[in-house]
Amino acid sequence: MKFQTIIDNSCEEKVLIYAKQRTKQIEDIESYISNIETELLGYDENRDTVKLSPTEIYCFIVEENKIYALTDSGKFRINQRLYEIEELVSADFVKINQSCLCNIRKISKFGASLGGSLTVILKNGYKDYVSRRQVKRVKERIGLK
Amino acid sequence: MMKNNYVKKFFLRGMMFGGFGPIICSIVYLILQFIIDDFTLSGADVFTSIVSTYILAFIHAGASVFNQIEHWPIAKSLFVHFLSLYVSYSLCYIINSWIPFEPAVLLIFTLIFVVVYFIVWITVFVCIKTLGNRLNKSLK
Repeated sequence: MKFQTIIDNSCEEKVLIYAKQRTKQIEDIESYISNIETELLGYDENRDTVKLSPTEIYCFIVEENKIYALTDSGKFRINQRLYEIEELVSADFVKINQSCLCNIRKISKFGASLGGSLTVILKNGYKDYVSRRQVKRVKERIGLK
Repeated sequence: MMKNNYVKKFFLRGMMFGGFGPIICSIVYLILQFIIDDFTLSGADVFTSIVSTYILAFIHAGASVFNQIEHWPIAKSLFVHFLSLYVSYSLCYIINSWIPFEPAVLLIFTLIFVVVYFIVWITVFVCIKTLGNRLNKSLK
């Protein structure tokens, strides 16, 4: 696929895609671009505010009724409900269980736990299980029929 | 995950699925009533079976948490899961007089339990592992 970037101060910033048909590659580009615009406010341990882009977040987890975003820079508290975040970042994220919303692009691999659960290992090493209720959804989002 | 979360999950799962114990028990009693002509139960028998099967299902459901404790070694998770099921099942069977409290019978019960446990465990594990491998292929 060819691409071109034109730097022009007088133009409105936009991304145009010319394609013969809608493919997964195009959907990936669309979701990436839509996520760049989305920003979430996170709070570090000193309660300083940090702007977070969904593309840098590995997953959102619930710990003691608080939501945290895991990134390479650390763990940030998010003052939103998990379902609200899910609506905001739906393009690249999938809910794997009641307390984890996981970035599909940050998945390193899937595995099996001894308890008979499907597990997800993210590129930062974070490991969580896929609840039985979410297996179908995860399969769809990964593109497995 | 915090230790408290595992405890909470144990009780939450137990409460969610505990009710299935008495339901399954009552279905078995119903079948027995049709098979055995003079099948009768005293009030005490019914009470014991309802309470014990509720506790059994509670522990069975909650015990799945043991396999999710990440800081436990694999062998420990498996052993604690197996042991919790074995103890709760054998106590439930003995309390309800479903098996006599005799060494020979207990030995046969244990052998059957071990074999069935590992057949079920291996079957589930292989299925999930296969699904994981298929998902990994789709990721690439």
